[in-house]
Amino acid sequence: MLIQAVNLQKVYQMGPVRVEALKDASFQIEEGEFVAIIGPSGSGKSTLMHILGCLDQPTAGRYFLEGQDVSAVSDDKLAEIRNKKIGFVFQQFNLLPKATILQNVCVPLIYGGIRGRRRQLKLAEQALEMVGLGNRVHHRPNEISGGQKQRVAIARALINNPSLILADEPTGNLDTKTGKEIMNIFRQLNKEGHTIIMVTHDQEIADQARRVIQIRDGLVQKDEVIA
Amino acid sequence: MIWEILRMAVDSLTVNKLRSFLSMLGIIIGVGAVIAIVSVGSGAQSQVTSQISQLGSNLITISPGIRRGRSGRISFTATDVFTMELAEQIQRNCPSVGLIMPNLQTSGLLIAGSTNYQTQVVGVTPAYQQIYDFYPARGQFITEEHETSATNVMVLGSGLAQELFPDTDPLGKTVKLFVRNRHLLFVVVGVMEEKGTGAWGNIENQAFIPASVLMKKINNRKYVNGYTAQAVSATAAKAAVGEIEYFLTRYMGDPEKFRVTSQEQLLETISQVTGTLSLMLGGIAGISLLVGGIGIMNIMLVSVTERTREIGIRKALGAKSRHIMAQFIIEALAMSGLGGLIGIGLGWLGAAGVAKIGGWPLVVTHGSVLVAFSFSLLVGLFFGIYPARKASKLDPVIALSYE
Repeated sequence: MLIQAVNLQKVYQMGPVRVEALKDASFQIEEGEFVAIIGPSGSGKSTLMHILGCLDQPTAGRYFLEGQDVSAVSDDKLAEIRNKKIGFVFQQFNLLPKATILQNVCVPLIYGGIRGRRRQLKLAEQALEMVGLGNRVHHRPNEISGGQKQRVAIARALINNPSLILADEPTGNLDTKTGKEIMNIFRQLNKEGHTIIMVTHDQEIADQARRVIQIRDGLVQKDEVIA
Repeated sequence: MIWEILRMAVDSLTVNKLRSFLSMLGIIIGVGAVIAIVSVGSGAQSQVTSQISQLGSNLITISPGIRRGRSGRISFTATDVFTMELAEQIQRNCPSVGLIMPNLQTSGLLIAGSTNYQTQVVGVTPAYQQIYDFYPARGQFITEEHETSATNVMVLGSGLAQELFPDTDPLGKTVKLFVRNRHLLFVVVGVMEEKGTGAWGNIENQAFIPASVLMKKINNRKYVNGYTAQAVSATAAKAAVGEIEYFLTRYMGDPEKFRVTSQEQLLETISQVTGTLSLMLGGIAGISLLVGGIGIMNIMLVSVTERTREIGIRKALGAKSRHIMAQFIIEALAMSGLGGLIGIGLGWLGAAGVAKIGGWPLVVTHGSVLVAFSFSLLVGLFFGIYPARKASKLDPVIALSYE
């Protein structure tokens, strides 16, 4: 079992106001699954994604990633888990604007302690090949299209060979055609064995996954396997 | 890892070249000023000391004491006991004193044919030559015989000889000295060697006459202004000062009536004064370094805010707090270190320029370069820590959603 979420709860204290972003979420995800987490804005799906991505920790409940309880580890340990086990793909791409494509893809290697410039570049080039971006590697993010940016982000997510790819509205800033291309890449990656969790509010996108978890008001409302 | 972070730091500095330069400016000016001031200080000091030791070695000056006058005025007491005879007594009673001569001089107009020249006329004894290490190039100096018989003879400085006798040989010629409404005729018996400009004005344009002539025929007084003595050796200078002080105190009964100063003491005082000045100016320059550090901190804080999202991305990709911290500290260090290097270069250039104008040797010590550079790094480290900590403590979720 890759992921086991047990009664996850997240409460934010904003001054006098207590906001329960996530009330009670429990589910399990196996290796090799392609899961869409869907829900309207304010449903708590972003909070859930932050917890699943080890960017944040739950107020209550337990979160096991590959059998390891990560709901109460140190910040540095969380950083290490993010680096080794999770690959992020964001709606805003989140590439470093001043670094080249190749440098961007290399960043997780640097923090992962993978030494040797030549080795890093080789791994980065391989990852870029996988998403169909063999050329333009010395350009900067502002010199390429949105679809290409998202491919770079996917390459960066793949480079440390993570157990889990976490995509947050990956097609949200793309036109329909490009969005489809990106979705095809995700499906292809899933066929190759990668576990993918995708957060979206778009039913059409969610339908391309093989399992949909619906979140509403901080609760899991529906959890169904498609086809 | 450290190389990657170093490269990232340099990359981010080169992206905002003008801004990086402006924030380095404080450090550049501070380090440059420290280097230049310390160098100019030590250059000037070595110039002054070399000029003083050029005057002659192991010199001791005996002068009237300074007494505080009434109503806060400082007045020199005209000591009526500094006579030629006293000089002889000092020499007899102080075994460490080798030579002694009176200090006597006046200012007068020298006339030779149709040329005239206003200059300093110094009353001397033959001991003058050894004491000041200054000899005639041609003819002879004032002799013991000239002195005892008060003969009207004169020795000209090399520059003065040129002024008065541009085309002819001055030896044997007659020079008229007009001083205090009196005319005296002198026969030129010698011309001094060239010695260059000393610390106390141009000795090349002085005229030398027997001390007895100046006392008896011009001043009409048997008192002199003071004495210049020479110790038997450099190591004996201190002993000679002690002996003279002991003898004169007993002789006059009042240690306030005279002052005995050795060359060594003078040098010490001068190096103390220039040292204090350098330290003070260096301190002011150090404040500029501090201000430069605050400038760096300011720009680093701006940079942390501006790059909140970048920090969030890096954290999401696995950067630990210490990675983020190292990145920003190295950036601050790179900025202050580079500023320090540029400052050293500029300070060196400035010091070289001033040394050229002042005509003294360029002295830039390794010590001052090292201190200034490490101080600039220290400033960078100190003022980089706070912004770096701030950056490393950012919550990745908040940082990622920062617009």
